Amino acid sequence: MKKIVTIILLTVVAVTMVIMTSIPTTMATVDGPEISLSPNIPGDATFGALPPNATNEQKLLAIQGDFDIYSWNTFIALNWPPGPDGNGDPNKKIGQNGDNDTVWEHYRDIADIFLPGGATPSYNGPVSVPTQCKASYKPGMRIISQVGKTPTVLTEFSQPFNTGPIIDQNGNYTRFEILVNKPMFDYILANNLYSKAGQKAFTGEVAFPCGGPTGPEGAIMVKSAWKVISVADKARFHTQTVLVYSPASQNPKYAASCSPKLMGLVGLHIGHKTDSASQWLWSTFEHVDNVPTEADVASGKLKAKYNYYNPKCSGAKCPPNQIPPRPWNPTKVSMFHSQVVRMNMFKGNEFAFTSADARNADALKLLLGVSSKSVWQNYELISTMWPTNTGKCQATPGDPLGTPAPNFLANTTLETYIQGMVPNVSSNCIECHNNATMTNAKASDFTYILQRAQ
Amino acid sequence: MSTNPSTPPSESTLQAFADMSAALTGFQSSFIRPFLDPVNLSGTFYQFAVSQVGQPRMDALMGTFASLSNQTPKLTSQQIADTLLETALDAPSLQAQLAQSIVAMWYLGSWYVPGVLGGGGFGPPALQVISSQAYTKSLAWNLAQSHPMGFSAFTFGYWSQQPASLQTFGVDTSNGGGQ
Repeated sequence: MKKIVTIILLTVVAVTMVIMTSIPTTMATVDGPEISLSPNIPGDATFGALPPNATNEQKLLAIQGDFDIYSWNTFIALNWPPGPDGNGDPNKKIGQNGDNDTVWEHYRDIADIFLPGGATPSYNGPVSVPTQCKASYKPGMRIISQVGKTPTVLTEFSQPFNTGPIIDQNGNYTRFEILVNKPMFDYILANNLYSKAGQKAFTGEVAFPCGGPTGPEGAIMVKSAWKVISVADKARFHTQTVLVYSPASQNPKYAASCSPKLMGLVGLHIGHKTDSASQWLWSTFEHVDNVPTEADVASGKLKAKYNYYNPKCSGAKCPPNQIPPRPWNPTKVSMFHSQVVRMNMFKGNEFAFTSADARNADALKLLLGVSSKSVWQNYELISTMWPTNTGKCQATPGDPLGTPAPNFLANTTLETYIQGMVPNVSSNCIECHNNATMTNAKASDFTYILQRAQ
Repeated sequence: MSTNPSTPPSESTLQAFADMSAALTGFQSSFIRPFLDPVNLSGTFYQFAVSQVGQPRMDALMGTFASLSNQTPKLTSQQIADTLLETALDAPSLQAQLAQSIVAMWYLGSWYVPGVLGGGGFGPPALQVISSQAYTKSLAWNLAQSHPMGFSAFTFGYWSQQPASLQTFGVDTSNGGGQ
């Protein structure tokens, strides 16, 4: 059976064995894909050939390279300037004017999918504007000419499992938002999964559509992290002026508030269900100024300034990766500033480091080729998590997680406090999302958003 | 005894160790050491065992396995395992004791010092759990078609469904295995 699984895997990843003498230590597969400046979102990763005598590490490095190329091509396409239909405009280029509106920001915000009373949502319908925001909400605050306009509202400030917020070096809470693409929205709508009643009546297994290597994209969800920035820092970030909304809270007690702020993108998770990854592909990007690595701190090779680390404060005075003390009040500027360090989560999976470094260098050249002022040059791929053992758009029986590679993966703006290498505790996209359920406790195919149904 | 291998084992050595482990445990070799293996338990276990018993003792055991594997007529995995483990003997040799520790390592993710026995109806004490991955990926859970405490790869509510077959959990079910 395992041989069959291996054969399926080989077929799925289209790995054709060819003769070659060796594989360079930083190279992807032979005649494999390349990073390209394209508005087309890859439906799946594509793969080159493996050398016949590659070691386990070399095979993982090569295929990780192809998945990382997929991630960069997805990042480029999702951040491409959209046309009137919301898709990437082929007549424009990413970063040609420094910054640009993006495709993914025209996906549907989950706040506009899981509506009060379980009302039926629409992909291009009106956005939900909280009462406190209505006075500040003005047409034109963001670009509103495109179809599929998403709300200019960020409400989330706590991380997975309520581990805590992350507060930047100016004392401002980082904000998050989650959006889904049309295939994912359409599946939710067609199966009435937008409401508790619809989920209760749903008798099948939740199975979002898979993208194929030559076909359309599958279900995609994007989670982004944003920090308040000054106009002086605008040239280094993808920015949006958005309404930052804080719902009322009883503990600590504060009233709902909403105000426009200039926000810079600091983190971007992209989850995509594909033929080669029924456990979804998980690509995670960060702003290059976010945090130093453990090695940077140990060597003292630090930048003058980070978004979430003070290089002038170290040791016991500023211990890293501490959850901000309660009470958490995002409506006020905090005295606590998060001191975040990227932990080494790739011990034994060093291929993930090697591959991301090589792909980041390749992408940087392309982005700079468009414009030396491109804000997108300031983003880096941390890694791509992919299943090493899976069937076409379905898990291998007995291995529902698909044995992910790398074993762990965290974005420091989104999983700040669960970095590490402890199974079931440290951040592992596939392992964590495999626990997701709907409101009726039935498995929800690697997404937690269905729990928001009302 | 504790030694540290100075150089990583070769691919062929690790494959041979996986093949021997498969015969000893009754699992498929391709499950013990998959085509793509980001966990690399076979490498971890090989190096840990060598660090405990020394390279010559491991080489001797694997040499015996190689000669058994090459016999004509071909021996079954069960016959090879019975020979290596000396299951018919009351007092197994040092080499068989190492083979037994390797079986325990794969099944329980822990290292049991070769030859150390338990008593009073209890098993021997484990020296240590080799790693967190060794705990979550050890074969006892697969044989039970289940998962370790504190870690599950299955979705919520899996217990209401029939488990997947032993074969899909990596058990070598040929020749009546897993029965």
